[in-house]
Amino acid sequence: MPSPKLADKLAAQRATMSEELRLAYENSVAEMLAIGAGTTALGLGDRFPDIVLPNAEGDLIAIADLLALGPVVVTFFRGIWCPYCRLMLDALVVALPEIEAAGARLVGVTPETGGLALTTKRNHGAAFEVLCDVDCGLGLDCGVVFRTPASYRALLLKHGRDLAPRHGNESWFMPLPSVFVLDRSGIVRWRFFTTDFSEQAEPDDIIAALRALGR
Amino acid sequence: MELHQVRYFVALCRTLNFTRAATECNVTQPALTRAIQKLEEELGGALLYRDRGMTQLTPLGRITLPHLSGMLAAAATARRVADEALGRQQMHLRVGLGPAISAARVADVVGRLARHCPTLDVHFEEGTTPGLVEAMLGDALDCALLPDADLPERLHRWRLCEECCVVLLPAAHRLAARDTLTAADLEGETLLVGQRCGGFALRMIEAGDASFTVRRCGGSWVQMLDLVAAGLGVALLPDALVIGPGLVSRPLVAPELRRGVALTVVAGRPQGTAVAQFVKLCRARAFAPA
Repeated sequence: MPSPKLADKLAAQRATMSEELRLAYENSVAEMLAIGAGTTALGLGDRFPDIVLPNAEGDLIAIADLLALGPVVVTFFRGIWCPYCRLMLDALVVALPEIEAAGARLVGVTPETGGLALTTKRNHGAAFEVLCDVDCGLGLDCGVVFRTPASYRALLLKHGRDLAPRHGNESWFMPLPSVFVLDRSGIVRWRFFTTDFSEQAEPDDIIAALRALGR
Repeated sequence: MELHQVRYFVALCRTLNFTRAATECNVTQPALTRAIQKLEEELGGALLYRDRGMTQLTPLGRITLPHLSGMLAAAATARRVADEALGRQQMHLRVGLGPAISAARVADVVGRLARHCPTLDVHFEEGTTPGLVEAMLGDALDCALLPDADLPERLHRWRLCEECCVVLLPAAHRLAARDTLTAADLEGETLLVGQRCGGFALRMIEAGDASFTVRRCGGSWVQMLDLVAAGLGVALLPDALVIGPGLVSRPLVAPELRRGVALTVVAGRPQGTAVAQFVKLCRARAFAPA
């Protein structure tokens, strides 16, 4: 029997939300839409920034070095506290052999500091790079960073999810779920972006986008 | 949110003048004004008062500025390192080491940074917290590792780890056979007390659980260890320090003394690429307790 689609797992997770959480989530998504979130992300044909960031193991990784080996899939996470991100991570771990068979490298990006990138890798058995986007610099460069709406921030705090110590800053900015498929010259050829953080890109779609890059 | 909007906003905060900010950012003033308006819509309020001829930050603008400029700096660092590694520019990193904090704490991070910046020059300076803070404010140091209690407001700090107090003894000392030690075990011992040795000895004396003979010693923890080896007394130091042969280290379990060690930089000070990337590398990872 084929494993259920990521979308089904995300829907099942969404169904477990308390009334309070659901309201805050809906408000937050509505607020994101109202301020035009999603209109600022890198688009098809844009060049992905040529950046260097620390990885989970504490080394500096240059995106250019990864591109020299082939196409790159960059996926932004909110953090391991986020159940939707965890489902996405698990789905990507399963999809990794096919992504690599398509000649590509997978790179996760998290705004969480203090070793949480490594925790993320270990918890999920992820054999791909997880970069630590300290202070969300890359997220800003890619246009995927937004300030957490106040109501949602209050709810996260109430549930012990204070982002300040996790991010090492008090700014409460975080990336929205997004995936960029880059060809070997670093040009965005496919992307997924949503203001609804309970949605994620379907790994099958990422793999299809990689295959469409050709050769 | 887009990078250029944040760049324009930070330039506007620096100049407090739309015309000058637009010139600095190499855009037209209407383009800059539109970008700021979009940013204000996204952040849910005015960031600047625009009175005739007077541009001032609103309270929201004041709160938001350090966060946005931090993010902008992070983006710039990530890109600049990519450029400069190719350009082989000379890079510098000057790190202050507070009381009883060894360069070994961050040597691995420096090594990984140097792999990416082959021309990196590294300078360490040991000192007291006030001395190192002054050196940072005077731009003689880029950053410092300091015990994180009572640090001045002007420093950004990130706690890297927590350290526990251990007792350092000559290997032949009567207490060396014990696995752990308490204040009562040390009754009557000579405690070495130094200005630049982490302050555990003073905290122990203040706790008043036992009485000791105090021997003051200047210098750093390195010299203090030499005095312990020479039999001048016992030392209370953080567990993270690497000790030489002839000495043993035993955890002090009562009282249990701890301290946090933070990486600090002067808030709002622009950083060189190597420094910014060093700070990122330190913040990204976990530091083992000892």
